[in-house]
Amino acid sequence: MTAPMERISALDTIEKDIITCLHSAGQVFVELSKEKLSLKQAENHTQTFLKTLSAVENKLTEQINYLTQVSTGQPHEGSGYASQKVLQMAWHRLEHARSRVNELDRLKLKHAQGRTAGRSSSGGNGASTSTAIAPAT
Amino acid sequence: MSGGRVLPQSKEALLKSYRTRLRDDVKSMLENFEEIVKLAKGEHDTQLSRMTQCEQDTYEMHVRAANIVRAGESLMKLVSDIKQYLILNDFPSVNEAITQNSKLFRTKQAECDQKLMSLRDDMAADLYDLEEEYYNSINK
Repeated sequence: MTAPMERISALDTIEKDIITCLHSAGQVFVELSKEKLSLKQAENHTQTFLKTLSAVENKLTEQINYLTQVSTGQPHEGSGYASQKVLQMAWHRLEHARSRVNELDRLKLKHAQGRTAGRSSSGGNGASTSTAIAPAT
Repeated sequence: MSGGRVLPQSKEALLKSYRTRLRDDVKSMLENFEEIVKLAKGEHDTQLSRMTQCEQDTYEMHVRAANIVRAGESLMKLVSDIKQYLILNDFPSVNEAITQNSKLFRTKQAECDQKLMSLRDDMAADLYDLEEEYYNSINK
């Protein structure tokens, strides 16, 4: 995974941790509301809640510290447009060559159909003459 | 990274606000959680009647639970804001993404042109044979 996507996926993980945190807190209250409550379960969920919340705080602090180090306040002026345009022109060249080859193919088919039609019409005339001669003998 | 870099005031204030929001939301979640657990004890020595105390405790629990959820949602919004800031201002990542895309596009362009050149070579060889056939025939 590339470095830009790693940071974004780290933030996705933090979002999931926040949801886990809220879920654990809810589980603690559900456990406490039961008549026959299990202290061990309640304690486990509480530990999960506290641990996850602490992890969320640490990870977010780390992300904010990183941003403090790398941000400059200036807008980024880089662009990938040049290479994109180069690829687009190569694609146009390919499409142009494809259209010319298709045209050539079409001409070839047309020529082949013309020759086939010519042969079948000249072969039909020859067959009728031989049929006329045969009954006389 | 240089230690002497001075960020514009707006960026510095923005990052400081992120820290403040994080600290406040985490503190809110912890405090409200603790208070709900304390309320769940159910102390009996109060000046109010039992029913009234129960009602009061129920209402307080509802409000504190809503505060925990609000703090959780505020944290989610903070994560979303940090993602946005990262995409716009994380120069090393943006540079790397641009470099990778440029490299990919130029590789694709080189492949396209290579295929076109091999097509050209094949057609030139066929054309040579066709021309020879045509110019040597009586039907030209």
